[in-house]
Amino acid sequence: MDINLMIILCALVTFIPMVIPAIFVERLNFSTKVEKFLNLIPYTALAALICPGVLTVDPNLWYIGLIGAIIAGGLAWKKVHLGAIVILTVIVLIAVYSIVPMFPI
Amino acid sequence: MGIGYAALAIKAGLTPFQTVIMSVLIYAGAGQIMIATMLAQGATLFAIVLTSFVLNLRYFVMNACIFNKVEDAPLPVRILSSHLAVDESFAMFMLMEESSIWTYIGLAGFAWVSWIFGAIIGVLILNLLPVIVANSFNISLYALFVALLVPAVKESKDLVILVILTAILNFILQLFIGNWSLIVATILGAVAGMYIVDDETILGESYNKDDDSKSNSCKTKEVQ
Repeated sequence: MDINLMIILCALVTFIPMVIPAIFVERLNFSTKVEKFLNLIPYTALAALICPGVLTVDPNLWYIGLIGAIIAGGLAWKKVHLGAIVILTVIVLIAVYSIVPMFPI
Repeated sequence: MGIGYAALAIKAGLTPFQTVIMSVLIYAGAGQIMIATMLAQGATLFAIVLTSFVLNLRYFVMNACIFNKVEDAPLPVRILSSHLAVDESFAMFMLMEESSIWTYIGLAGFAWVSWIFGAIIGVLILNLLPVIVANSFNISLYALFVALLVPAVKESKDLVILVILTAILNFILQLFIGNWSLIVATILGAVAGMYIVDDETILGESYNKDDDSKSNSCKTKEVQ
């Protein structure tokens, strides 16, 4: 695949819907239904991105991703800052990686 | 955040330049991560472009809200600034009293530049990191996804059900249709959500906006 072409096409399909409201400010008014559908997309997209991808973070150790997800979820529940969640999760996984060789599953 | 994206993009086979230029031109956090994930899994060009389109379609709604708020701005400025919308900038601006386009450009432009610098730093430091650390960075994207999702769904049982349903759907679908499951599950999930989730939750009125930058609609403005 031509990655440069892909980047340009993705940039275009992202930008074009964004620029339309900038040009036609007054004339846009979508129904509640359309708005609801579009607002739901990020949730379902994130759900689909997480599962089952999280299980393949480390192809050799499926539970690594699961541990990370549980930690991140717990921190998010406690309203920890987004950046801190990512950093803490990475740090915990580095720790897990240094313990794992002792307990092969 | 940019560092996590850079890690994934480089692993997916992008050059450092392509990794950074994607942050400049596409500028969609989750969208870029999705592209890199799909590239790594060997998805087709068409699947990736279509997925980007659908995932980033929500910016259409956000920009409609933003430019509704700043009607007085000249057209060229509006066109150029329309590129800057992301969930965080959108939520911040809609919650502000200020309605000048320049305030928005300052705010959203700063976020854009930070994101680009994140990618540059990510590309630079990845070469220096030991393997275990680099491996651990793989989780950063999923940590980000989970961290975005948990506070957003915490307040609503309907959304929790929808998210679990979509995850299961995607898990099953990917066994049959591979990479296409991502987009199919996303759309089917949103369709199911039309029935599962009630309007108030998703359209903003009864929603705790501090917890979530993704579900704000224009209603945010009316609430304030």
